[in-house]
Amino acid sequence: TSTENKHDPHIWRLEFASHFSSLHSSIGVLKSMHVFVQDLTDELALVDVIEDKLKGEAMDLQHGSLFLKTHKIVADKDYSVTANSKVVVVTAGARQQEGESRLNLVQRNVNIFKFIIPNIMKYSPNCILLVVSNPVDILTYVAWKLSGLPRNRVIGSGTNLDSARFRYLMGEKLGIHPSSCHGWVIGEHGDSSVPVWSGVNVAGVSLQGLNPDMGTDKDKEDWKSVHKMVVDSAYEVIKLKGYTSWAIGMSVADLCESILKNLRKCHPVSTLVKGMHGVNEEVFLSVPCILGNSGLTDVVHMTLKPEEEKQLVKSAETLWGVQKELTL
Amino acid sequence: MASVMQKLITPLASGPAEPPRNKVTIVGVGQVGMACAVSILLRELADELALVDVVEDRLKGEMLDLQHGSLFLKTPKIVADKDYSVTANSRIVVVTAGVRQQEGESRLNLVQRNVNIFKHIIPQIVKYSPDCTLIVVSNPVDVLTYVTWKLSGLPKHRVIGSGTNLDSARFRYIMAEKLGIHSSSFNGYILGEHGDSSVPVWSGANVAGVSLQKLNPDIGTDKDSENWKEAHKMVVDSAYEVIKLKGYTNWAIGLSVADLTETLVKNLNRVHPVSTMVKGMYGIGEEVYLSLPCVLNSSGVGSVINMTLNNEEIAQLKKSADTLWGIQKDLKDL
Repeated sequence: TSTENKHDPHIWRLEFASHFSSLHSSIGVLKSMHVFVQDLTDELALVDVIEDKLKGEAMDLQHGSLFLKTHKIVADKDYSVTANSKVVVVTAGARQQEGESRLNLVQRNVNIFKFIIPNIMKYSPNCILLVVSNPVDILTYVAWKLSGLPRNRVIGSGTNLDSARFRYLMGEKLGIHPSSCHGWVIGEHGDSSVPVWSGVNVAGVSLQGLNPDMGTDKDKEDWKSVHKMVVDSAYEVIKLKGYTSWAIGMSVADLCESILKNLRKCHPVSTLVKGMHGVNEEVFLSVPCILGNSGLTDVVHMTLKPEEEKQLVKSAETLWGVQKELTL
Repeated sequence: MASVMQKLITPLASGPAEPPRNKVTIVGVGQVGMACAVSILLRELADELALVDVVEDRLKGEMLDLQHGSLFLKTPKIVADKDYSVTANSRIVVVTAGVRQQEGESRLNLVQRNVNIFKHIIPQIVKYSPDCTLIVVSNPVDVLTYVTWKLSGLPKHRVIGSGTNLDSARFRYIMAEKLGIHSSSFNGYILGEHGDSSVPVWSGANVAGVSLQKLNPDIGTDKDSENWKEAHKMVVDSAYEVIKLKGYTNWAIGLSVADLTETLVKNLNRVHPVSTMVKGMYGIGEEVYLSLPCVLNSSGVGSVINMTLNNEEIAQLKKSADTLWGIQKDLKDL
């Protein structure tokens, strides 16, 4: 469908909503995201339900236009402002409270999505949805169901951030930049994520090959604690500053870059994994996926150990246990 | 009578200008040198860029052409001269000087021609920038990095050869194309001697940590029905092929040098396959430079990653070391 006033705009739309939760909600996430995506898009649209905050954020960004390469920044409560978006990032939802587990957020956020997703689809039927709101694996499933989009166009930010945190901590331990430290955390974003120790390497040298106890309790170097720190990261930052924003914003911008520039880079993101690794339910979990301008086009099949696959199967069962109770 | 400038601008702070913090010098303004210069400028890595060459007209022309683009750049000072004093206080010096590989000419044949040039260049560089890190690009790069090290008197960690950084980049591009993914998502290293005898480390080749060799144990061997070995052969042939088609290669090498420069200037501790002094490693007894994965930072080569190589790969490295030493020991006046 053509638009009446633009020539194929690559509109990137960011959305946030603070319907039910505290005042700050996801403004933090929003703040960081648009700072990081500024060079990727020629138009940025923001939507939320709290009109003052929304307008304030938009104005603040617009005032920075001299320093940006995004010629148009718009914002409105009304979804018509989002028309023709190529990528829609959904951060809407109540924020995880201190000590609150992700699964507890679910029903609060499902109700918000029942309003948001159809509105998005009405104005951008060909978009790619990137879900960030937690619990991300469930909410990506929800977004997929509510949108009617094919599975390659609904992506969850998943363990992209967990893996980035893992690589940062690995880099600190080894004195090497994270981009030269390779490690993949897959599965369910959060407490039950799975670090694939067999793939952890620097320059192709498998660290588990050098230390076979890696990831187990008998490992003297306690690499397992690196993964534990990843799991605890969000809670720790929330405890200290009230929310996390910068790292998640950067990781989402990284995903958007691969999509908008059609890079076909491999990222650990949440996708429909029914039929993979012994999972039988319709659930979304993170595995290495190839991202390009038609969305998530391929999955890299990891060679997992039986214990690792068991964890994925277990996560799938837990997620399905929650999902089947949802009214969608 | 006040000049326009005096009427227009009131200076507040006077005194000598501060020295540059991230000055990069490029020696040699041929195709490779200029590709390095442009890549470094576009990446905004330097606050000053100096160019040196012996052909004065060309040198001045290249400098002017870059200066005319200043409006679009973030490098406020671009200078050039035949005299090395223009290179003073450089953090990084990229050496691309030397004669170009001719069609069909093997890299080893270039050697003595380029050694004589380096005997003039290197001492001058070090005289004006005693604390710099040198990146040698001229071919044959492994021999010439050794030569540079000897002529410079610098500690070995501050003399780096671009080595197989480009071979590995080509390898990652070719393999990624075969797999339909971006080259940055394919991880694989080519090590050892830059050129015909480079060593692809198949055991480390992976995507998302999934080892390709585990999926196909024949990978890289002659009995591999998928003939993955071909990818390495294509890397080896790349330079010759491009030279045959357009007369030289420059863009890829320029980008790869800018990538190294970024890691050095920004003290990133990133791992790159570059040529470093490998005596004492893998049973090599001679003072030769070969490419291994090195952790680079602002002091140069901070550390080397120990690869788990199989016997055949180690044998290839040793063979290269012997070949290189065979040439190096006969070089005069080092």
